[in-house]
Amino acid sequence: MVLAAIVGATAIAAALGLGEGDVRRLTAHGPWPQSPARDPSNAASGNAAAIALGHRLFFDPRLSVNGAVACATCHVPERGWTDGRARAVGLTQVERNTPTILDVALHRWFSWDGKADSLWSQSLKPIVDPREMGASAAHVAKLVRSDAALACLHAKAFGAPRDRAAVEPERALVHAGKALAAFMETVRSGRAPFDDFRDALARGDAEAAARYPAAARRGATLFLKSDCHVCHIGPAFTNGEFHDVGVPFALGGGRVDAGRFEGVKRVRADRFNLLGPWNDDRSGVAAVKTRHVEATHASFGQFKTPSLRNLLHTAPYMHDGRYATLREVVRHYSELDMERIHTHGEQLLRPLKLSPSEIDDLVAFLESLTDPTAARMPARPSISGC
Amino acid sequence: MLAKALPVLLLLIGAPAVAAASEMPIFDAHVHYSHDAVTVVPPKEAVAILRKAGLKRALVSSSDDAGTQKLLAEAPDLIIPELRPYRRRGDVGTWVRDEDVLRYVEDLLKKHTYVAIGEFHLFGADADLPIPRRIVQLAKRYGLVLHAHSDVDAVERIFQQDPGARVLWAHSGFESPAKVREMLRKHKNLWADLAFRSEQGSGGKVPAEWREVFVEFSDRFMVGTDTFVPERWHYVPEHATFSRAWLADLPREVAEKIAWKNGEALFGKR
Repeated sequence: MVLAAIVGATAIAAALGLGEGDVRRLTAHGPWPQSPARDPSNAASGNAAAIALGHRLFFDPRLSVNGAVACATCHVPERGWTDGRARAVGLTQVERNTPTILDVALHRWFSWDGKADSLWSQSLKPIVDPREMGASAAHVAKLVRSDAALACLHAKAFGAPRDRAAVEPERALVHAGKALAAFMETVRSGRAPFDDFRDALARGDAEAAARYPAAARRGATLFLKSDCHVCHIGPAFTNGEFHDVGVPFALGGGRVDAGRFEGVKRVRADRFNLLGPWNDDRSGVAAVKTRHVEATHASFGQFKTPSLRNLLHTAPYMHDGRYATLREVVRHYSELDMERIHTHGEQLLRPLKLSPSEIDDLVAFLESLTDPTAARMPARPSISGC
Repeated sequence: MLAKALPVLLLLIGAPAVAAASEMPIFDAHVHYSHDAVTVVPPKEAVAILRKAGLKRALVSSSDDAGTQKLLAEAPDLIIPELRPYRRRGDVGTWVRDEDVLRYVEDLLKKHTYVAIGEFHLFGADADLPIPRRIVQLAKRYGLVLHAHSDVDAVERIFQQDPGARVLWAHSGFESPAKVREMLRKHKNLWADLAFRSEQGSGGKVPAEWREVFVEFSDRFMVGTDTFVPERWHYVPEHATFSRAWLADLPREVAEKIAWKNGEALFGKR
């Protein structure tokens, strides 16, 4: 009987009211979950002791200058690894929304502006940012050296320090970044309702596909018809690149957030980029993107395309958290202000002019991309002997 | 705490530094100061940005024209006014069929002095619609340059309507250097702005195919920022720095012409 429900792509599309090519395009958003490859620029990637060290550091407020701010202050597991605020607050408020770290191992560039080219180099930046954790390399070195459990994990992850150079502050900071990255690579989301639908389409199982809610199914076709999938592409629903989607980026007081334009400048000037001495990838492959990245005029005011997975856990939205709900985000695209879009900039963009019911459908589709179990505290890894 | 990235704070006061006296002056041939920009970057701040960027002059058009007039009043030595046929930037896609736009342009031409009409968006056969035709006629009557964000077809149609027209080709139509050269060879009254283009000078180096065109037509190119949203006013100094970097890769005489002398020659002597 199950076999009888297995049909071809054309038949399943007809049965579910999908358009020509929709099945192929929707199945391209999977399979999920993906297994990210080990980061070749981080020798600690996948290392159990480094993951355990990173876990401890992530939740340890002593990493900040005043002992009050941890990575987890803003990346709260139960809030989808964000903080629920429009703009993050570390030692002081910053101008951007906290991005989730769910599935961050799949990213190519890090932060809204891509100012880091590896997860480990991104991870050490908030530690020394005076507005976030305000610490220093020396502070990190002292913490890791003085705490027996941290020192033990550090020794297991990176080798016991053989001389003073092994615990020099900059090395300690980089090790902290690499351990944090190793931990964050393990923060992954699981399957969402959409994934069951997608897999049913892939195997031609019309009966299983029909269990996906009709509103979400209509939203999925709208998502394709509106070309959202061009940037929100693939299993993670992002191309990992940078775009200007008409979101204002003035900060007030004669200031702007230049986004990717400044991100490129920063990543190229970053001592901790993949062109620098701390990259563990000796093949040189990982650094190719950094060697060739260039800002253009269009980069000014561009921000990274976020994944659309787990949005129910990660409100508010956009780089500055200006939209509290998914409905507001969809309305942004429905009523897109073309006055903010350069004619030869993002040519894909146009007002979608959605009806209220279409907005409902698109929201239903977006909601179906959330793993309901993703917002939870992970188990603390233990390493024998530490 | 992964990534509450430090946003880039481009402070109006203090950064970037005032352009050094030795820096190449820039004639910015593509500046807009539209209704929302007037609010976000008031005229005094806008003029301060232009001066800090080391601009010699700025060809400014606005939607609506009030922005241009406000800037001109603030810095008549710096601002060269052109008339954009848009009351709001949203007119970009509808102006070619909007009689009210024509009345708007005619009224302002009687009221103020301009050097150009534009930048307007005009593509293909739309150039032969009655309202764009009338704009070409008005430019001829008032002796104004037409600043056209157009494809090759529309530029050709403008010259068919008025072989004596002078056209500043915005963004050089986003065409290849070979096509830009072909058009410049064909039309002696065609100038080319390079606004919102990066490839001719990425990394401070001019590719060979662009270098040939710049040398052959050194008296026809201009640079421009294109402040199409208010925030882009804070990009004017960055754009000037970018322009100086790649212009330095050209012979000095060619670089000076593209940087400012061509703009002065076409618009500056008022």
